[in-house]
Amino acid sequence: MNYAYWFASVPGITNHARLSLLAQAGSARELYFLPERQLRSLRAQEKVIEAVLAGKKLDTERTYMELCGRGVSFISLEDSAYPERLKSISDAPYGIYAKGPLPGEQKKNVAIVGARMCSEYGRAVATELGKQLAARGVCVVSGMARGIDSAAHEGALLAGGATCAVLGCGVDVCYPRSAERIYGEILDRGCILSEHPPKTPPLAAYFPQRNRIISGISDLVVVVEAKERSGSLITADHALEQGRDIYAVPGRIFDPLSAGCNNLIRQGAGILSNIEEFIRELDLCGAPGTSMEHFEKLLLEKQERLVYSCVDLRPKSIEELLAETELTMPELAQLLAALSQKGFITEIFKNCYIRRI
Amino acid sequence: MYSIVSTAILCGIKSVPVCVEADVGDGMPVFEMVGFLASEVKEAKERVRTALRNVGYPLPPKRITVNFAPADIRKSGSGFDLPVAVAILSALGNIPADALSGVFVIGEIGLKGDVQPVHGVLPMVAEAKERGISRCIVPAANRREAGLIADMQVYGARSVGEVIRLLTGGWSETEDYNIEETAMEKERLDFADIHGQRLLKRACEVAVAGMHNLLLIGPPGAGKTMTAMRIPSILPPMSEEEQMELTKVYSVGGLLAEGSGLVGERPFRAPHHTISMQGLTGGGRVPKPGEISFAHKGVLFLDEFPEFQKETLEVLRQPLEEKCVRLVRLQGTFEYPADFMLVAAMNPCRCGYYPDMQRCNCTQTAVSRYLERVSRPLLNRIDICVEAPQLTFRELTGNGREEPSAVIRERVVAAQEIQRERYSGETFSCNSRIPAARIREFCGLSKKQEDYMEQIYARLGLTARAYHKLLKVARTLADMDGGGRIENRHLNEAICYRSLDKKFWERP
Repeated sequence: MNYAYWFASVPGITNHARLSLLAQAGSARELYFLPERQLRSLRAQEKVIEAVLAGKKLDTERTYMELCGRGVSFISLEDSAYPERLKSISDAPYGIYAKGPLPGEQKKNVAIVGARMCSEYGRAVATELGKQLAARGVCVVSGMARGIDSAAHEGALLAGGATCAVLGCGVDVCYPRSAERIYGEILDRGCILSEHPPKTPPLAAYFPQRNRIISGISDLVVVVEAKERSGSLITADHALEQGRDIYAVPGRIFDPLSAGCNNLIRQGAGILSNIEEFIRELDLCGAPGTSMEHFEKLLLEKQERLVYSCVDLRPKSIEELLAETELTMPELAQLLAALSQKGFITEIFKNCYIRRI
Repeated sequence: MYSIVSTAILCGIKSVPVCVEADVGDGMPVFEMVGFLASEVKEAKERVRTALRNVGYPLPPKRITVNFAPADIRKSGSGFDLPVAVAILSALGNIPADALSGVFVIGEIGLKGDVQPVHGVLPMVAEAKERGISRCIVPAANRREAGLIADMQVYGARSVGEVIRLLTGGWSETEDYNIEETAMEKERLDFADIHGQRLLKRACEVAVAGMHNLLLIGPPGAGKTMTAMRIPSILPPMSEEEQMELTKVYSVGGLLAEGSGLVGERPFRAPHHTISMQGLTGGGRVPKPGEISFAHKGVLFLDEFPEFQKETLEVLRQPLEEKCVRLVRLQGTFEYPADFMLVAAMNPCRCGYYPDMQRCNCTQTAVSRYLERVSRPLLNRIDICVEAPQLTFRELTGNGREEPSAVIRERVVAAQEIQRERYSGETFSCNSRIPAARIREFCGLSKKQEDYMEQIYARLGLTARAYHKLLKVARTLADMDGGGRIENRHLNEAICYRSLDKKFWERP
């Protein structure tokens, strides 16, 4: 019998209480065989002891087999496979469930987090950062939420590198639904982990807690975009407590989506103003990845170049482009179609275009 | 003695002839009216009795029977007072019976004997004309309206006394109006007032040129409403036939101002978003036309599109396809024309700033939910959709000279002229109405263009319906360019106007 799995499955105990019981008993196995009288003498709340006693009747043998059958691995704090970095944090989850191989201990892990409702600029930064880091053998850790998180995973997957998603629900639950494609790809090529047993529904309360795991298994946390009061800042706070380095991507001072990042910088976070520079600071000894792609702009005709130069990472509407280029609508439509066809720009919203980097 | 008077009741914008017969005979002194009458018609009895006494013809103590034929149609409306009064007077011998043959009578009367205006005079007189009636007596306030019918001798009566004098004395041939437009010298809004927003303006021009339905999306203050309000200034003039049809709707709906004639200007109706389903399509026990019929041959502008009740919007689907609305009631089916151009305006999300994430405060679910309020089938019926950004102060106050509406209107008229010629033998007259089966015929592409569109079709994930709309819009763009073949530039511009794509609201 897997005693660690049994201990992790006992319902009604907080992770904190679990850790305290473990410290007193030594291991899950010893706790399981502790006589009731001795068990009651442990320093713990009455209801916790009751929960453990009641838990002894659980048939964890069968559920454990089922778990293994579904390709989910269970790793407890007592296992040697438990990530070293995560072990060192104060409120380390007793058990973690994972699909796919855990990120290697030798590799660097970098967490990329940020706003769900991010700007196109933030999305582009997160994708590029994920791509560059993954290409150099860094494991990109994030939370698979909409926006920045998804973009970071996406970038890592594009580079064919390792990525790890930490969920606030069971590892077999895909939340949000919009991330279905990424979820599938990470399953193929990366790792999905959670402290919650499979089939746990995504509850709002689980998400701030999972942020401590994101920062916990990482060496460094990058906040790409965050509003003044954002969930990403919770991750940053955890990172600070856990002694991880924090980097923030600076933004314009009037942009609400950069307010959180700029605040972090003011409080002493590292400034990520240049991806190449940032990677050099990381002191990676891996092979240099692919460099940023540059389009051969010379292939463009004069007017196409004019329109391309006006298109930005900030979505620009046709109206703005009309005003800036002083072309007529039929001319502009023609050029936009040509540029989209060649893959230089994308229509990211109705009548709004951005540059493809 | 017996007498008979011709009148009519309304059924949609058509009218059904009704004969009012009166008989005065010996017996118990009773005044009886029969013939499937609504309560407002039954009340005519008291009005007629009193009015006749007040103009000096008190009813004698005899048995008076009034019948409305045919008896199987429910008679409603207030226009029967005057026919009843005339029929009784004739039955009493005060008006010679032969003076009533070939005369159509309609009108409500007051206790003093004055004649009040009624709704729907134009369609009733038009129908009377078809029956071969050449003279009609209508309330004075409806005089010009009835005068729109050619070769019809119209008398506008102010009082019952006047009617008696006319019918006993004889018709003078002097009064004879003919079709004339009510002068519309309204202060018009002009496109020249809008600086910037060239995309919006261009979209309006294209939409009007092909009578395409239009959806404007943008943050608050982008000038969506301002632009839409100026659409009437570029609408082409109406043909006489269209004017007559529209005037009939207005007449039935009671929207014609007192003494006004033909409605010469295309309607622009902008109902508030709290409008009820009945208000929009028409309704009531005896259905009256609704906003979509008042917008016939013109523009129906729905501002704050998602704020309308979902059910209210859904009822637009059938009229948008069939160009008319059929309301079925116990008494029968009422059909009102509703050939309008739909212009809708909406914000991209509740706060209005999506996809500018620096300013939008909505969550993804809130954004989706907002969009859900406009149903897919309805969006499918919109041909042109454009997104307008918020203008900067500099752009708004720009002092560049903007094109006045008159210039835009000329181009629109020219493009519509090309379409009218092309579709001269068809049942439709503009590009937006080309039936799906004939798109290949009118919107033919070259082999190379078809290959290109195939790529676009796949890249944008279009549906067959969206593709057809795109081709129709490209046709209009080509017509604005002189009416030649559809060129690549027309296709590319039409792609920019393509109908709203829900995938833009769903971001990872």
